[in-house]
Amino acid sequence: MSAKNEIPTHPIPFRALALRSLSDPELRATLSLVVETFTQKRQEALAGLPWEEWRERLSSLRLQILNDLPAFVHLFAARARAVGATVHQALDAKSACEIVTSILREREARRVVKSKSMISEEIHLNQHLREQGIEAIETDLGEYINQLAGHGPSHLIVPAIHHNRRRIGQLFAHKLNVPYTEDPVELTRIARKFLREEFLRAQAGITGANFAVAETGSLVLFTNEGNGRLVTTLPPLHLALVSIDKMIPSTGDLPLVVRLLPRSATGQILTSYLSVITGAREAAGSWGAHELHIVLVDNGRSRILASPYREMLKCIRCGACSNACPIYRLVGGHAYGSTYPGPMGAVLTALLEGMERAHPLLDGSTLCGACAEVCPAKVPLVTLLRRLREQKVEARLTPWVERAAMAGWACAVRFPLLYRLGKVAAGVVWPVAKRIGRNTVLGRMPDFAPRFFRRRIW
Amino acid sequence: MNRDRIIADFAFNATRAGAEVVRAKDTEEMNRILSLLLRERDSILIYCPGLTELEKAASIPPLRLTMDYKAATICVEEAEAAIAETGTLIYSNQGGRLLSAGLLASHHVVMIREENIHEALDDFFAHLGDSPPAYLAFETGPSRTADIELQITLGVHGPERLTIILL
Repeated sequence: MSAKNEIPTHPIPFRALALRSLSDPELRATLSLVVETFTQKRQEALAGLPWEEWRERLSSLRLQILNDLPAFVHLFAARARAVGATVHQALDAKSACEIVTSILREREARRVVKSKSMISEEIHLNQHLREQGIEAIETDLGEYINQLAGHGPSHLIVPAIHHNRRRIGQLFAHKLNVPYTEDPVELTRIARKFLREEFLRAQAGITGANFAVAETGSLVLFTNEGNGRLVTTLPPLHLALVSIDKMIPSTGDLPLVVRLLPRSATGQILTSYLSVITGAREAAGSWGAHELHIVLVDNGRSRILASPYREMLKCIRCGACSNACPIYRLVGGHAYGSTYPGPMGAVLTALLEGMERAHPLLDGSTLCGACAEVCPAKVPLVTLLRRLREQKVEARLTPWVERAAMAGWACAVRFPLLYRLGKVAAGVVWPVAKRIGRNTVLGRMPDFAPRFFRRRIW
Repeated sequence: MNRDRIIADFAFNATRAGAEVVRAKDTEEMNRILSLLLRERDSILIYCPGLTELEKAASIPPLRLTMDYKAATICVEEAEAAIAETGTLIYSNQGGRLLSAGLLASHHVVMIREENIHEALDDFFAHLGDSPPAYLAFETGPSRTADIELQITLGVHGPERLTIILL
């Protein structure tokens, strides 16, 4: 995992990372459990409901936001200020990190608790804070495990799913100095005890937001563990990082997103906890005045908005596309070598970090469309992936063998005689090539059909 | 939809989310239920903010009562509203309610008046308008995680047990 603000330019080694996952049988077993469970639960939670109508509504709601994003962001900022929040705007990862550190520094906050936030992963906030001497403790159990292990998230919803219980038991024994156990209940209890202390002594809480309501300036947070509420109610300062594409127009739109996000993500009707936070709270007894800072992060969103890929910004980060993707199901989140995994991750990473770096991820798709089918916001993932692949070809980022083969093919199909000659030659060369390359990908390629397709239909 | 149906839906969905739901016809019956719940274990500390009439009417053994919500093992309070569609309880910071109290205790006992149960999410949010309270907290079942091998474990940060008393 890279952990710098500057995006490295070397291409993500998707093939090597995928191979590593493929040769880890434990990872593959856990992974298939996750995708099968979530897929099944999602189907059960949506059975008998007007799913097509709901996602159509969510899609048009998100488009409405995108068509007027600067205005909605402006409205959100004004309303949030009116209810007592301090609103900051950050154009890129670096300035977002700097704003967060300067707020924490001013208040001499050195102990900080965090609730899971993908935008903070995207801008590598934890690394930045550590360099400034501020310790940010992840409180989502999965993120806490990842933090102890020094790993990034491998799944949007269950970020530490690449560890099995034995690895977690060893990790806790080693890092927290507790007796080894591999019982998930016992491990959870250990984490509860350690994190409870962190909650109670933290000087600030950092969260993301699942949605930001423009008309009221509200932040909306979904969690199952309850850490989202504790992070935002116990410490005297709440700092929220919100990427600008999280806007929804009004609280009247909340029922729709409440119905779609948990069902798509975990197959739940609703997560155990949901917070709608509208501005700073007045002083109330022992918990003191509560200060709220909101950092609106652009980090490439405006650029995507102005591009032909703007519909990617409809995404609500439920992770359903990953669970549905036949490639993700095999290789898991870490193969993508980026903050966001799966089909949405391949597209978003290419848009955020550039083609030079992200183009190998575009190969990790069969374009089967399973991702687009389950997307609650109707993000046209297949269209976006295909368009990015075209761009990859135009930028000559494909390997020379592939380019040569494609050029040869393009030439052959234009001349029937050449094409027929090629067929005869291939009939001879192909079996030989397969024998020579039997231990490579070539050996696994199918044989030619005994009769050509054209002959079979006429 | 009639009231009985809404209440039944609420109870069904809350139970499905992992809560225990009991019905009391008046505060007297509520207190009988509370005394059963609170008698179950020794070494308990109960926090009850006493902000509403029901919270004031709740009879809690004085020796077990604490104002230190961070140390309490049981939190007894009244929810402002509920949603039948999802089996959800709703609280706000209005009136000085501490929204972390119901999370820090390992057992959350919640009273809800049946007339405050809304049928669907839309009904609740329609009432909300464009000036919601500073903090609205929604609770659907106990605290849960599936982060370790997808095994559902209750009580990770919040309560492992949620009891709802319908009045």
